[in-house]
Amino acid sequence: MDVYLHLIAQGLAIGLLTGVLYVLIALGLTLIYGILHIVNFAHGEIYMLGAMGVFYCYVVFKLPFAATLVVILLLSLLLGLGVERAFFRSLRGQWLQLVVASVGLSLIIQSLGWIAFGIQEKNVPSFFTGVVAFGGVRLPTERLIAAAVGVVLVALLYALVYRTKVGLAMRAIEEDEETARMLGIDADRVAALACAVGFALAALAGAFVAPIYSLNPGMGLEAILMSFLIIIVGGLGSITGTVLAGLLVGVLQSVGGVLLGAEAAYGLVFIVMIVVLVVRPAGLLGKA
Amino acid sequence: MRHPTLALVVLVALAVVGLPDGVHAQKSFKVGAIVPVSGPAAAFGLGVQRGLELAAEDVGVFTVAGEKYKLEVVTYDTVYAPDKTVAAINRAVYNDNVKYGVIIGAGVHPPILPIIRETGFLDFAFAAAGRQITNPENPTAFRIMASSDQLYQTYAVAIAEKLGGKRIAFLGPNDELGKNDAKAIKAEVEKLKAKGVSFVGDEYYERGARDFGPALLRLIAQKPDIIDTDGSPTGSIALIAKQARELGYNGYFVNSTAVLEAKAISDIAGKAGENIIALRIWANPPTKLYTELAERHQKKYGEAAPGTLWETYGAARWLVDTIVKADTFDTKKVADALAGSTYAAHPFGAASWGGEKAYGIKRQIIMPIPAAILKNGKWEPFDVRSGKFE
Amino acid sequence: MKRGLLGLLIAALALLPPLGKPYVLHVVIVVLINVVYAQALYVIMRMGYLSFGHAGYIALGGYTSALLATKLAITPWIGFLAGGIVAGVFAWALGAVTLKLRGIYFSLSVFAFAEVVNAAFRAFEVFGGPAGIAGVPRPALLGTRLNTHLQFYYVVLAVALVSLFFLYRLQWTRFGFTLLALRTRETERLAESLGINAARYKTLAFVVSCFFCGLMGAVHVHYLRFVSPFVFTFFLSNDLMIYVMVGGLGSYWGPMLGAVLLTGLGEQLFAAGYYKSLVYAVVLLVVILALPGGLISLPRILRRGGARERVLPVAADVAAARER
Repeated sequence: MDVYLHLIAQGLAIGLLTGVLYVLIALGLTLIYGILHIVNFAHGEIYMLGAMGVFYCYVVFKLPFAATLVVILLLSLLLGLGVERAFFRSLRGQWLQLVVASVGLSLIIQSLGWIAFGIQEKNVPSFFTGVVAFGGVRLPTERLIAAAVGVVLVALLYALVYRTKVGLAMRAIEEDEETARMLGIDADRVAALACAVGFALAALAGAFVAPIYSLNPGMGLEAILMSFLIIIVGGLGSITGTVLAGLLVGVLQSVGGVLLGAEAAYGLVFIVMIVVLVVRPAGLLGKA
Repeated sequence: MRHPTLALVVLVALAVVGLPDGVHAQKSFKVGAIVPVSGPAAAFGLGVQRGLELAAEDVGVFTVAGEKYKLEVVTYDTVYAPDKTVAAINRAVYNDNVKYGVIIGAGVHPPILPIIRETGFLDFAFAAAGRQITNPENPTAFRIMASSDQLYQTYAVAIAEKLGGKRIAFLGPNDELGKNDAKAIKAEVEKLKAKGVSFVGDEYYERGARDFGPALLRLIAQKPDIIDTDGSPTGSIALIAKQARELGYNGYFVNSTAVLEAKAISDIAGKAGENIIALRIWANPPTKLYTELAERHQKKYGEAAPGTLWETYGAARWLVDTIVKADTFDTKKVADALAGSTYAAHPFGAASWGGEKAYGIKRQIIMPIPAAILKNGKWEPFDVRSGKFE
Repeated sequence: MKRGLLGLLIAALALLPPLGKPYVLHVVIVVLINVVYAQALYVIMRMGYLSFGHAGYIALGGYTSALLATKLAITPWIGFLAGGIVAGVFAWALGAVTLKLRGIYFSLSVFAFAEVVNAAFRAFEVFGGPAGIAGVPRPALLGTRLNTHLQFYYVVLAVALVSLFFLYRLQWTRFGFTLLALRTRETERLAESLGINAARYKTLAFVVSCFFCGLMGAVHVHYLRFVSPFVFTFFLSNDLMIYVMVGGLGSYWGPMLGAVLLTGLGEQLFAAGYYKSLVYAVVLLVVILALPGGLISLPRILRRGGARERVLPVAADVAAARER
């Protein structure tokens, strides 16, 4: 019994850490949907680009880590601005075409990624090695740090959306764009900014998750599938929903894995997804 | 445009039927590479494609029935999907007159086996799962890699004894390979029951997963000393090792995939990558040909050769030899001749065909199978006596 | 002109086998299958519902027929119908829950369902597990099993023509027109205020759409003589959506055009690896941005001298933007 309890504690701890990672991965998608009502299918590929960016800047070009982060941040912001201008703006209002356009975009980035980055798995050496052990529970240091980064980014995002004027503008155009425009808010600029931040979040998620796992140009697919799962459960467009859902899925997988085996745990997550869809189709905290 | 609808129809027809092929100066002996060259399994497919290309270079011009031929490689990308593999074999056999080929994938073979049987296509298969492809109903299907059954029957008991392992666990991909091999290893461990060796658990992960926490937690709680990771690719085994050690596992890992990069593993997992035992990996080159092919690949393609390169090269050279001796391209005659022959110049050493006892037909390649262990970031030969496979 | 062209096409398809090599027959079979899938998807897409999970219904149909044939030795002729019916039943059950949702919520929920279906087929040995079901037999006619390409081709052609004819006629019935009226939440409320039971129409449309997917899915599986969780994946759902969007939503012939062109293109680019997805994606983006009505609107636009047009009335699109 004692062994079991210890296992569950370990499972819970790892599950929480992993959950925060999932939240980090899904955050950008939630923001872009929340403000612009666009499901950015290219989200997973931006995550991949962020991870590849760390590989090339930090490992290949040997830039210091801080500089690497700045480069990735700037490039992803620019990419977000560019994509919004080139694709999303002209299709604003046509959700079907928007979805399809972002699917096309994701395919292009992925194909180019395979061609440019090659098929060999790449790796970014861990920034922090070692394990923190307390109370019989072992927590890999680098995951702790990544989780901490995740928490910070979530907090920053909350601050941005709920405590700044820009955030207020974002919430305004999400609520009622026409009225917001009439009140003098430059909806196009705000939309572009929201898109840029969303892309930056995706890229940063990739950058921090990269050292924990390995990299290949197909990693975007896992990210987008996980993000979809999280927003289905948590609710599109709700940051709190994303946080809750991410933690829930992480813990379910981990503790479920300990108790029932990995396959069954995987199935358990699906069952939760179905239950949420039947009982609250818009997600736990979604706005239907 | 006067009749845009008509133009559209013509465009459509062209798209469906395609443009006619060009005419070749030299007669070609076409060998198909029906393999994934894009997507996650691309490394395996590229190894095959390049192995065939290198073989073509070395074979040069050969004579059959008084005519001169050159080996031509035709690639059909399957992306390791069943429907694309069906499309590939249809195109190869019915459109391009290709009668010989290397085909990757146990999961994609079932829908094409009927076509292989009906047309007598000579299939050099890369597929770990044994019985489905290698059985008396498919006389033209040859497996050119070691099968799972072969690996387990040859090595499982020997490794467990050498390491003194008492508790064996299994962590494999959640597909037919993983499920099959779990059964195989259970069967082998049963043989050692009298010596106190037991099988303590099997878990499965989704292919492409990066987080093995849930599966590992449960497995490690059973205190195994050897975890068999089946055919997990480089990225997966590296992460498995890393995460398992983080959770406190200090035992050995066994892996049976042919494409395993020591450097990538130590990059990803660091010290955690030590004590991975890899079957089918050569720590020291078995023949000069092996080294030569590795160097040629590096020079020509700019990267390290994927594991499927050597097996493909060996099979291709053997095939051409057989065709020349039999002086025919008839696949049934060549298959018979091939099955009865041996080949001394395979990059791994001497090769022959076997598997009569296990599968009912001699279509399994029998060649030296190495074992290596990862120490200090490099492969070292793992010296363990091997059992017999028939 | 249209009818004549159509008649010519059908005649050509019927006479193809003796003249075409097995490879061409294979390509046309795959094209016909994809065309039916795309047209079935179109039924609900023109109603304003984008499905990311149609592969799930195709899989349900395929597995049903495969299981009936291999475990219970039931002839595929019944299996095809059974496949359609099973898919339809699941559609009816799922529709009750998800059709209330609009826009992306619906899309994600059908996606989730398709993934669950796939995972279920993978997890349980009774469905063959990850290896799937091999040795699925071809149907038999008058004593012979239709094992050759030529023989099965006519089966596929027959099923396809019947399905496409039915779906075509459906569009022009009162039912078909009513579906158009349900495109957005606003128009749906309007329809309801006129006494139309929107939920019933939507559910029926969903059932019809999935029935044909299941039916053709069963035919598909008997063509391959195999089914596994890796045959009908999310990538297929994705592809179908691309066929419909590239072909065009504004006309019945649009999805068909998209399916034929892109399937054919895909076959030609058989060795291109990553460049193939790149080409697909570029075609998709170009069409979306430059030709929102899809390729089928091209002749119309060229005749009008290049005027840019929206696929369906603008007001409806703006209203659709307010969906959450």
